[in-house]
Amino acid sequence: MSEHSLSRAAVKIERMFDAPVELVWQMWTDPEHLTAWYGPDGATVTVAKMDVRVGGTRLIAMDVQTPNGPMRMWLTGEYRDVVEHRRLVYTDARADEHGNVLTPDELGIPDHPTITEVAVEFEEHGNRTRMIMTHTGVPADSPGAAAWNMAFDKLGGHIAAGNKI
Amino acid sequence: MTTAIDDARLDETFAALANPTRRAILARLAQGEASVNELAEPFAMTLPAISKHIKVLARAGLVIRSRRAQRRPCSLDPRGLQQVATWAEQCRSVWEARFEQMDQYLQQVQASGKDTRTR
Repeated sequence: MSEHSLSRAAVKIERMFDAPVELVWQMWTDPEHLTAWYGPDGATVTVAKMDVRVGGTRLIAMDVQTPNGPMRMWLTGEYRDVVEHRRLVYTDARADEHGNVLTPDELGIPDHPTITEVAVEFEEHGNRTRMIMTHTGVPADSPGAAAWNMAFDKLGGHIAAGNKI
Repeated sequence: MTTAIDDARLDETFAALANPTRRAILARLAQGEASVNELAEPFAMTLPAISKHIKVLARAGLVIRSRRAQRRPCSLDPRGLQQVATWAEQCRSVWEARFEQMDQYLQQVQASGKDTRTR
């Protein structure tokens, strides 16, 4: 593993959009807009619930095509921080249709921790918007999720030399 | 290089990393192996408490407890972190695709005048 891939242990994506911050904010907070971009290719997204305020919950259905036919996935989460046009933080987890969080065992999928946290920062640049999204695998109710990157930075050199162990 | 990802294990890895003391232990081990006694030194914690943290880290595939010598030194286990990195890479490609779609959709919305606040 390279240090480069290690620095991705928490996913951070920064992107400039040619749109005003109010509109980019709505992409995340208005169900009509969210469904237009949130699904992977070919997936249909339906927002069952979206209560965008601190402590409010979200329940989203995603209909995807799989080799075994169509499948409906449910995603749930809670909004942790909501500062209009500035900052949005929420948890994200696979769930059943009632919004109960599923364990990886129940899911039968290997590639996802149970509860992850997504933080989005919005920066106004005239009619353009810089958006910085950070998705961490640290359970959101744990203290010091921000220290995540630091811990990985410190470990980077060691893991890069991991084959020697 | 390719590690089969054990789902329960990955979840355990994230849970293990969620604790500041355990991250500090990992940071210390990144500098080289250490015994439980040495690991306990910088913390105001009892040996059993530190041992418990090390057990959590070992179960999560983040730390290896050597059987050699009486001090049984601990060292980092890169397997756990590799799994985390694999998850992150998959996660990143999903978001990249979404933001590509968002970018196109933003242009559509603004061109159709759906958003009234634009220039």
